[in-house]
Amino acid sequence: MSIKIRMRGKSAGGVAEVKALIKHPMESGVRMDKKTGKPFPAKFIDTVVVTINGETAIDSQWSGAVSANPYVAVKVKANAGDEIALSVSDNTGEKGTHSLKLK
Amino acid sequence: MKRRSFLKGTLATGAAAVAVNAGLLTPTTVLAEWNTKAFTAKTADDAISAVYGASTATASGDIQLKAPAIAENGAVTPVTVDATGIDGVESIAILASKNPIPLVCEYTFAATALGYVSTRIKMGSTMNIIAIVKAGGKLLKAEQEVKVTIGGCGG
Repeated sequence: MSIKIRMRGKSAGGVAEVKALIKHPMESGVRMDKKTGKPFPAKFIDTVVVTINGETAIDSQWSGAVSANPYVAVKVKANAGDEIALSVSDNTGEKGTHSLKLK
Repeated sequence: MKRRSFLKGTLATGAAAVAVNAGLLTPTTVLAEWNTKAFTAKTADDAISAVYGASTATASGDIQLKAPAIAENGAVTPVTVDATGIDGVESIAILASKNPIPLVCEYTFAATALGYVSTRIKMGSTMNIIAIVKAGGKLLKAEQEVKVTIGGCGG
């Protein structure tokens, strides 16, 4: 099973804003299950990488405090025709990636 | 009808994306290990030290920190840090001062990225959102209180 990502990117004047919506519960490990009295196990995206034509542009680290089904928008120096890829992985090893060619 | 063709279109691009990703994108640089020390630090200062090696940051009006004055839902608080007016932004970190773990996320930028990030975070109660920007080797910060009526930690 891989993490699903929806992404849009538009380039203007050499800058592209890339917006992504990632499907993920982002369970922090702090939230308590009231039935068992124990916390729900932590399952959250901890690494997010954005590349432009294969080269890393942004490398980020997240905690479980990023909201569930995270939305993230970044800006990169890229033009129409460049390929932007967003790759994520979570603390349990699950991964997901999505790429698009900028218009 | 429109919805079906939209979904079909989405599935088609999904398939293409899977094909590209089967080769999996291998980053050209070695990425940093997840900073456990920073993500277990219990105070904002300790977290900032663990990320940047120092916790003293200078307040800067060049950082545009956008967050609601009152969060309708603490579980999904929109935050935007726009440091595009600053040269040489290397990194942005977002912290929530009174969360059990204050460090929410940290972004490291290559020269091909702008110092900008917009996302949504969980806040457990009324507290300050702190944006730290590392630019030109210096630490800058912007802070704003967000009032939270319904906490975002699920309890």
